Amino acid sequence: MLVAWKYKERGTFYQSFDPRARLIFILVFLFTIINFWDIRYMLCFFAIAVLQYASSRVTFRESRGAWFILAPVLVLLTLFTFLTGRSGEGVYDTKTLITEWHIFKFTIPVMVENTTFAIAQLIRLFSMALVAVSIPYTLDPSQYGVTFRGLGLPDKFAYAMDLAFRLVPTLGRDFSTTYDAQRARGYEMEKLKGGILAQIRKIAPLLVPVVIQSIVNGEEVIDAMDLRAFGVGPRTWLPELTYRKRDKILIALSILLLVGSYTLSLAGYGKFWIPEIIMSLAR
Amino acid sequence: MKSKIWSWLVVFVAIAAILWIASAMTDPEEGAQLDFSSLAWLVFSLLAFAAIYVVYFMTRDSEAWVVGTRQVVMMAIGAALYGIFAWLFNASVIVVPSVSLVSIRPAIAIPVLFGYAFGPVVGFFTGAVGNILGDFLSGWGVYPVWDVGNGLIGLVAGFVMLFPDKKKSVNFLTWLIVALIALAVVFIIIEPEVPVWGEMTDQSGFIWVMIIAGVFAILARFLGERLGAETAAINLWGALGIIVGIGFAAFADIWINGYTFLVAMVGEFVPAAGPNIINAAILAPILLLAYNAVTARTGR
Repeated sequence: MLVAWKYKERGTFYQSFDPRARLIFILVFLFTIINFWDIRYMLCFFAIAVLQYASSRVTFRESRGAWFILAPVLVLLTLFTFLTGRSGEGVYDTKTLITEWHIFKFTIPVMVENTTFAIAQLIRLFSMALVAVSIPYTLDPSQYGVTFRGLGLPDKFAYAMDLAFRLVPTLGRDFSTTYDAQRARGYEMEKLKGGILAQIRKIAPLLVPVVIQSIVNGEEVIDAMDLRAFGVGPRTWLPELTYRKRDKILIALSILLLVGSYTLSLAGYGKFWIPEIIMSLAR
Repeated sequence: MKSKIWSWLVVFVAIAAILWIASAMTDPEEGAQLDFSSLAWLVFSLLAFAAIYVVYFMTRDSEAWVVGTRQVVMMAIGAALYGIFAWLFNASVIVVPSVSLVSIRPAIAIPVLFGYAFGPVVGFFTGAVGNILGDFLSGWGVYPVWDVGNGLIGLVAGFVMLFPDKKKSVNFLTWLIVALIALAVVFIIIEPEVPVWGEMTDQSGFIWVMIIAGVFAILARFLGERLGAETAAINLWGALGIIVGIGFAAFADIWINGYTFLVAMVGEFVPAAGPNIINAAILAPILLLAYNAVTARTGR
């Protein structure tokens, strides 16, 4: 049985936009935010992301499952980057010491640069997460295919994208079922200790059944599609999408954001910037 | 057709306009100091697609490029599976010592299997869209060169279908390895001293490293063949796919993120490609064995 995304028709202003226009805006947002490391620019993107999320009217109760998983990972990732200085390579090349933390036997230098980088990274990650989380709750799954087709993908690839997005919750459920079945047989994924070979040996009982079962179930989908003459001629789609004035304005704003961001980035703006307040903490 | 030409013309004019505006904004006394790193992802992605198109054009009569109903459904299943498992293991970035968000991915066996079993198109879609889904679900956004790199893993694994049989494909790979190593050795003999960190360094020691690596690769091929032609083929093509895909993404990061060559190779390529090759070498043959058993039973 198929499991669907928790989409709900909310009748909001955000959902009144054509899904193609919304997707264009989201893609432009994601492709432009990665050009900047300046906290001031990041905050502008964060404001746009908050506005977009607020206008989608997705409640915390509905999306808390996603946030309970996402938020700790993003914070932990940023903290680890802060402690190790990873990902800062190529972004900054100076080291201005604020203080040193002594944790057990380790000495961790807290610098102006890695502190600023961590803040910028946290803002960037949460901006992207805000934009991404709203998609499954606000985009009608029955419109995935026609949306991708409307963005210029050929029929078969548009349908493959449609099917891929729709299958994610179903395969997630199958994964969960297989995991429970294996746990009933004494399998424990939490204990992924040992070297890489030991870890692979522990992953195999989960990976192999899920993958093979999905391929086997896929044969039924193939038969169903073949019986409906899929691929014989140009595909028609039940929902019809039409751009309205507001969609054209949103697309125009997206193009403006894209052109503006790349112009600024090419001209050298938006690079790593250290706020005076953080610099003043330096020894 | 005409509207497509107009669309592309608009895109090129827009890019030219961006460059002109950017140059106008820079200080004329300092000269035009444009920072092209923000467009580097686009350039590398286009280069990758151009290379893929060249291979497709040379082999376009092969059935490996056919996209029918089976391929469409397997593309979707592969991408969804890779996305879910990638999301599951993306948190492992914390334990992998690298310069960026490199994670351990046992699921790398999925694009390798799907490319090997269903063709290069399915492999590319599985890797690229699966990586997009995985990063999306993790809230990490979009990283185009890594999406293309993951796509290349599945694409190259699928090149095995361009050959009439598995043994011929493995023979081709063996000769390719020998030719590449011979080329590298010749280059080192011609120009043994190259600038490393601003100093001329004698790299002739690497001749022996290349020869030993080549011998190991060929031994691995014959060892794999003792286990079966399929095992040897999926391992070698999977390893080549991972080297090409991860190598492409790590190399592109030299321009995108401003890494040095050594940082990109040691900080990204090695921690990503190394464990992934081991993951694929063990899990992909197991998946292939299970898949072959299912197809033998169902007759499809």
